[in-house]
Amino acid sequence: MTLEQLLADTKPALLDIQQRDLTEIALAKDWQAKYRVLMQLGKKLPAIPEKMKQPELLVKGCESRAWLMHYHDKASDKHYFVLDSEARIVKGLMAIMLCLVNGMTTAELCKFDLWHKFDQLALKPYLSQSRGNGLLAMAERIKSCC
Amino acid sequence: MPAFDVQQFRQQFTFFQQQPDWVYLDNAATMHKPQVVIEAVTRFYQQYNSNVHRGAHQLSQQATALFEQARNTVASYINAQHLHEVIFCSGATAALNQIAFGLMHTVLQPGDRILLTQLEHHANIVPWQLHCQRFGVIIDVVPLTTDHQLDMLAYQQLLQLKPKVVSFSHISNVLGHIQPVAEMVALAKAAGAITVVDGAQGIVYQQPDMQQLDCDFYVFSGHKLYGPTGIGVLYGKTTQLTRLTPIFAGGEMIDSVSFVNTTFNKLPFRLEAGTPNIAGAIGLSAAIEWLQKINNKQIVQHKLLLLKEFYNGLTAIKGIDILSSSVHNAGIVALNVDSEHPADVAELLNQQKIAVRSGQHCAMPLFSYLARPGAIRCSFAAYNTLDDVNRCLLALEQAVEILTA
Ligand SMILES: Cc1ncc(COP(=O)(O)O)c(C=O)c1O
Repeated sequence: MTLEQLLADTKPALLDIQQRDLTEIALAKDWQAKYRVLMQLGKKLPAIPEKMKQPELLVKGCESRAWLMHYHDKASDKHYFVLDSEARIVKGLMAIMLCLVNGMTTAELCKFDLWHKFDQLALKPYLSQSRGNGLLAMAERIKSCC
Repeated sequence: MPAFDVQQFRQQFTFFQQQPDWVYLDNAATMHKPQVVIEAVTRFYQQYNSNVHRGAHQLSQQATALFEQARNTVASYINAQHLHEVIFCSGATAALNQIAFGLMHTVLQPGDRILLTQLEHHANIVPWQLHCQRFGVIIDVVPLTTDHQLDMLAYQQLLQLKPKVVSFSHISNVLGHIQPVAEMVALAKAAGAITVVDGAQGIVYQQPDMQQLDCDFYVFSGHKLYGPTGIGVLYGKTTQLTRLTPIFAGGEMIDSVSFVNTTFNKLPFRLEAGTPNIAGAIGLSAAIEWLQKINNKQIVQHKLLLLKEFYNGLTAIKGIDILSSSVHNAGIVALNVDSEHPADVAELLNQQKIAVRSGQHCAMPLFSYLARPGAIRCSFAAYNTLDDVNRCLLALEQAVEILTA
């Protein structure tokens, strides 16, 4: 497995999430339904093989670990990401985060306001809920790539 | 003797009226405070607020009297021989730091050994590590048996290495197992070691008797005994406290100061530099006075009942991996859902308003030994009800259903 392959596998997964799952989450009739979708999201993203999870990719939450890989295509000035997490719900939320930022230019990424976006998707409680779940740490790591 | 009335007991905690929807099973992290404790703290600030041991004025004398009365309450609760053997500090962490720092050089010399156990909280590991590294002191660790109990045979063998200090927890904050502290203290003393008992979880389970247990140090936090946060107790025998180098220096702890030489004040002030948490000490004392009116045997019985119900319910749920033993358990159950990350389980419980902790509970060495990424921890207190237990079980069932769908 290479970063190129992971990027190639991540892209259609994110597209699928954006086109289908986000509306499904918005329409979920109860929390159980919402979480069932969230957990499926995590499964759609390819897993980063253990061998590739180098220490410098680690994004530490208090309770679970996540990993972020970044690729900057200099020609088009676009940023692409691959991520993985030990915890499925967190991975699902991170997947949503990723579909919002994947393929952004440096300028777009710098301007990107995750809080605002999550608010629009009614997902803000998950961000503020706990310093522990690692979402904020992941958001910061993504932002630091610009 | 009237039976323990949990509803009546629970009514004394305003928190549950404010948060009626929540099932609070995170008692090992911190407990709720009965109204009498909240009132004692408020009353101090409203009516008596002044600094202690300072001004000549009567208000300060009044505050000092209340503060020293609190010391008295704690000392008699734990049956310390002398009042000055109770040192107020900010909590178990502060107390353990004071002990580890304070014994270096005065007791522990380069090449000496100390003995800890595999299941200690980081507060009983890292302070030792920090100072042992600097002073060249070696740390040995008592392993666990396959059923996650302390390996007493290995303990006795490690004592033959003649550690100068042995430090262990009364009750494991992850597993809830009650350690045979009396036996462990006796064995360590026979081997000539100074004994430190981390009573952070033990203090609420059982009223400890310092003169009977005969350990050299015992530490705990007020907030895990129905008291306020930011107050704790370092108990030590006079001879041992005298050997501690103060970790904090400043006002109140000195006898005379010049730039050539400073001489320290007597115990307990020598180890209580700066303005203490006066309201905290008064709150803790109120908690202890209140607790003494309640029959602890009944509380233990009640918690056993909750545990039994919980264990029974757990066996009926598919794929639960229980890490805690149901015997010798003080009311803490660590568990996982098979092949699921504890953070996911905790989040699904959180959605159902079940407050439990997940993760490694400040005991990473224990989890590397258990070979698990962490666990959910359900910890019960006397104010929990059978309804709490059943709601938690139902929520777990729901979580398993969502996770395995
Ligand atoms: C066994 C044990 N030791 C020490 C501590 C530290 O207590 P505190 O954070 O109140 O200082 C805790 C708290 O969780 C504990 O459970």
